[in-house]
Amino acid sequence: MSTSAQEIENLIAQDYKQGFVTEIEVETFPPGLDEEVIAKLSKIKNEPDFMLEYRLKAFRHWQTMKEPNWAQLNIEPIDYQSISYYSAPKKKGDGPQSLDEVDPELLETYKKLGIPLDEQERLAGVAVDAVFDSVSVATTFKGKLKDAGVIFCPISEALQEHPELVKQYLGTVVPETDNFFAALNAAVFTDGSFVYIPKGVRCPMELSTYFRINAANTGQFERTLIIADADSHVSYLEGCTAPMRDENQLHAAVVELVLMDNAEIKYSTVQNWYPGDENGVGGIYNFVTKRAECRGHNSKVSWTQVETGSAITWKYPSCVLLGDNSIGEFYSVALTNNYQQADTGTKMIHIGKNTRSTIISKGISAGKAQNTYRGLVKVGKGAENARNYTQCDSLLVGDKCGAHTFPYIEVKQPSAQVEHEATTSKISEDQLFFCQQRGLSAEDAVSMIVNGFCKEVFKELPMEFAVEAQALLGISLEGSVG
Amino acid sequence: MVGLQKYKADYQQLIAELPGQSLNWLQQLRADAYAAFSETGFPSLREEEWRYTNVSAIEKKLFSPLVSADNSTLDAAWLDTYALKDAIRIVIVNGRFCKEHSSLEGLPAAVTVSSMADALEQKPQLVEQYLAQAVGHDKHSFVAFNTAWFSDGLLVHVPAQLVLEQPIQLLHVVTQADYLATSRNIVVVEEMAQAEVIETFVGESNAYLTASVTEVFVEENAELILYKMQSESDKAYHFGGTYVKQARHSRFKHHNFAFGSLLARNDVHTDLDVASECDLNGLYLGIKRQHIDNHTRINHLQPHAISRELYKGVLNQRARGVFQGLVFVAEDAQKTDSTMNNRNLLLSADAEADAKPQLEIYADDVKCAHGVTVGQLEDKSIFYLKSRGLDEETARNVLTFAFANEMVEKVALKDLHAMVLDQLLQRFPQEHVDKEWL
Repeated sequence: MSTSAQEIENLIAQDYKQGFVTEIEVETFPPGLDEEVIAKLSKIKNEPDFMLEYRLKAFRHWQTMKEPNWAQLNIEPIDYQSISYYSAPKKKGDGPQSLDEVDPELLETYKKLGIPLDEQERLAGVAVDAVFDSVSVATTFKGKLKDAGVIFCPISEALQEHPELVKQYLGTVVPETDNFFAALNAAVFTDGSFVYIPKGVRCPMELSTYFRINAANTGQFERTLIIADADSHVSYLEGCTAPMRDENQLHAAVVELVLMDNAEIKYSTVQNWYPGDENGVGGIYNFVTKRAECRGHNSKVSWTQVETGSAITWKYPSCVLLGDNSIGEFYSVALTNNYQQADTGTKMIHIGKNTRSTIISKGISAGKAQNTYRGLVKVGKGAENARNYTQCDSLLVGDKCGAHTFPYIEVKQPSAQVEHEATTSKISEDQLFFCQQRGLSAEDAVSMIVNGFCKEVFKELPMEFAVEAQALLGISLEGSVG
Repeated sequence: MVGLQKYKADYQQLIAELPGQSLNWLQQLRADAYAAFSETGFPSLREEEWRYTNVSAIEKKLFSPLVSADNSTLDAAWLDTYALKDAIRIVIVNGRFCKEHSSLEGLPAAVTVSSMADALEQKPQLVEQYLAQAVGHDKHSFVAFNTAWFSDGLLVHVPAQLVLEQPIQLLHVVTQADYLATSRNIVVVEEMAQAEVIETFVGESNAYLTASVTEVFVEENAELILYKMQSESDKAYHFGGTYVKQARHSRFKHHNFAFGSLLARNDVHTDLDVASECDLNGLYLGIKRQHIDNHTRINHLQPHAISRELYKGVLNQRARGVFQGLVFVAEDAQKTDSTMNNRNLLLSADAEADAKPQLEIYADDVKCAHGVTVGQLEDKSIFYLKSRGLDEETARNVLTFAFANEMVEKVALKDLHAMVLDQLLQRFPQEHVDKEWL
């Protein structure tokens, strides 16, 4: 370890390094939500008529719904009328045609976050779509992707250029009536990414979307739709950060994945929304509905998530395994510290024959945080030879936190084989002693043990993300030892 | 809701006949429980604790309570097959104590074993001290129902430092169709005492409802082994709740065999004090259209307690088995050591297994693990047995039997072991069981 004492000091002093605010001219709707706001929003985006209808239908249904309260979460009531449903950096003219026209403030922001929007300087190829508050500000490598036939653009742009594709798939995996937050999202979503991989195409580079909440008192509602046609392959990464503010901000996203025959999608998330301070003030309320539908045979979907941010996380990336021989995977690390609460897990719905699913979930709870795994494995009558393996382990750091496991297993097929295992433990004194005896500080030792605990999940992440995730874990755990 | 009105109307007729009329505290308790039940009715699927078990049939079937004792149709020879030799025995027929079939022979003078109705007359203070102390009627509406409606039951009180040699059997029988039998039982084992209690639920082949609640108090350093064998008729509805309070260093073992009933729901809840131990074992065997729901909750409220749990299910034909288990570890319950396991064998395409093993943990220095499996017999094992000359059917029988027998082998009482084994084989997945290999 060559790090000097000074550097260690600096490392510990840094809390949430993405917590800065960008001063930029924005156009923001006044707080409040009614049909007029939705109509206005749809108009600004110049959306086709079917979208407005879709939004209004969702909104009307949403008004009849109640917030779900079954999760192991303690949520301050949310006033949906005090949130602004649209905020966007002011555009010059018709919006940026190339990076030169993008507001330099914005480019600076992404540079600070370490997200390279400047494609010229990039050596390795990762195409990035950057979403700032309510709109997508830049998408890189568009040309190269176009050559391969891949469509990767903001969903608002897709609505202009490929409305038939959006209309065909939007809301077919997560219908607008699915749940409270999905309905709200369908009514007011402003932007997000749209990906279409045509038949037989292996996406030449990893696709990535970077979400940033900047404005105060706004909610972020993004919608991601990825369609992998037959025999295609794509790896998609998602990252998120937000400034430090004392009030809670709402983030309600919907992600839909559609997989045809032999298609494969690998979806990785590093979620690092602002988690609130050590007293539990502020932070993002993160309510996300993510679902993949394996419509084709032999398709494979893999969710990998590292959840270190957000005051509240409510998120259950699911796999509907319709096609025969399709595979669903879920790898998750959820870390909660201070007053963070996470209720996260997955649903594996086995419908097709010979479908297989794997769930590896690692929950780490420190400080006064509560961390819950909640998952469903359902094997339908027709899912012959379905196979599921679930392992969810919890690690407790400190005696004021909680770790909970709520798995649901429903099997209607005798040839199915379903296994579930869970353990809960703390970092053993022996392990700590061994590391410290080899010269590691207590904090480094804990960080190392936690990283080892999460290794099974990290190895599923793309290289850059794995490095970022490990660093994030270290930072999030700071101050929880001793 | 029509059903609920009928139950309420029946109650108004029944109330004057229920035991303990002269006891104000009991009248109050019944009134409170009745009010709580009236408000909620029977549980619905929308309640998380009942999501896999639909009890609406109970409301539709309109079971009525028996106002006065009627044992006329009781077949004594048949009943005898369920009576354990050498046991102290209390027999409840159609919800009422039946003296002629009961036996208190050899009971030490210091030990109290009596029917609940008698206890309320002779030792009301003892009942008052324990009744509704292990479970409140706010737990769920079946407990409220039982508290308001109970017509009799069993009281066992073993004084401190006494080791009871004879087991105590509660034999609960329903002979009449459409009857409602509600019994309330209390088992108290004082400091350093030891006892074994067996609850047996049987009935003639009718549709009827048993709603039984047993409260158990295991005091410091005491030990109780509680067996429950539920072999109700295959048309019957059964609700059985066992609620346990364990004091420091106490030991509680439960063996739960669920064989009978069209719809059975079984709750076992235990509260653990410092360094106490509990061992919950269960076997549920579902055939035809049976629905068997097992619900357990282990509350680690204090440090150093140990809990072990193993529930096994064999589900055939159109049967559905449910296991919902929760291990709760309170903030101060450091050094908790807990394991929970549920294994299900699905033998038919129409059978279903639902499992929900839960951990809720608020302390850090704990060891908690749980596991669930749902599957079928292993091809490898079948192949091995076939290679030794067994035919396919026998091989499957041997393996299925071995799977279930693990739980039966834990029964130490010889007579009970034979009875449970017999019940198991009667309901065995394949009708013709070659018993040579037994």
